[in-house]
Amino acid sequence: MSDDNATVKPLDEYAEAAVQRLLTEHAQVAEQGITVVRRDHTLLLRGEVASPQRRDEILRLVTEHFPDVTIACDIGVTRAPEPSEVEELP
Amino acid sequence: MIRIAAVGDVHMDEDVLGRYRPALEHLPDRADVLLLAGDLTRHGTESEARCVAAEFGGLGVPVVTVLGNHDHHCDQVPQVVKVLSDAGITVLEGNSTVIDVGGVRLGVAGAKGFGGGFAGRCASEFGEPEMKAFVRTTGAIAERLGTALRELDCDVRVALTHYSPVPDTLAGEPLEIYPFLGSYLLGEAIDSAPTALALHGHAHLGSERGTTPGGVRVRNVAHPVIKQAYSVFHLSETELAGSSTQVSGAASGVHQ
Repeated sequence: MSDDNATVKPLDEYAEAAVQRLLTEHAQVAEQGITVVRRDHTLLLRGEVASPQRRDEILRLVTEHFPDVTIACDIGVTRAPEPSEVEELP
Repeated sequence: MIRIAAVGDVHMDEDVLGRYRPALEHLPDRADVLLLAGDLTRHGTESEARCVAAEFGGLGVPVVTVLGNHDHHCDQVPQVVKVLSDAGITVLEGNSTVIDVGGVRLGVAGAKGFGGGFAGRCASEFGEPEMKAFVRTTGAIAERLGTALRELDCDVRVALTHYSPVPDTLAGEPLEIYPFLGSYLLGEAIDSAPTALALHGHAHLGSERGTTPGGVRVRNVAHPVIKQAYSVFHLSETELAGSSTQVSGAASGVHQ
């Protein structure tokens, strides 16, 4: 595994930009709220989406486009409870 | 008191259908109106708009919305607007609506808005035609929003946009993309009328609270920001009186 990684081109800014645009412009995803963080040999995806299916699709898509990159997916699903408090605007 | 529920960036599609419904069940007990701050859909298709209609139609309170950039993506705006309108949802773009809330007239003026950035770090109408067109687009939208706000005949005014009128509520977003998240021209339009509250979405990583240079309270109600199905704002009687000389005069008459 580590031998394989040694031959992989390091993640650069172009890869970061490509992921960001892929997530926004891909017809099945259209997510603008995902933060892409480059960490050595890992690409960390952070943010919130509206459903678990959207998170899974993002991970699938990025993995498909960057098969040599280790992806860490820390994307949450936005909670939608009733508000427990109101904001009084005096 | 007027009770305003609001959320933006719900990005509806079939996979999200029903997600807001449990929280919306008691909405009529908690709010007089629901305002949606744009990005109702993922790509702006007619079928996604039908999901919005199913989720936010027939709630028992008036629902007023503006569209967001996502709702424009597939160039099906007329179809999207028709589906929403057929479901009883009022779609605003450079115009306004007045809702009677127990005898108090709530006026909502809305527009999608657009980018350009904020004072001191904003785009100018200069150079290439594309750049001029970009800035002119925001200018024209802001002008219509300002006119709609000023011409409202109501007791309390609320401005509803998708893009942000101030940088305050963008805190948390990368500074580099602020010019794509809003424009000071929207803030200037809001400040041109006695607006009680300005609501927007769009900035998922932003923060909840801000004010315009003129002192109007601004709230970013993007769903990932508020982390609940909707936020509720109570505009008190004092605020109502302060936002309209007519009401203010009548109130002081009673007290004196």
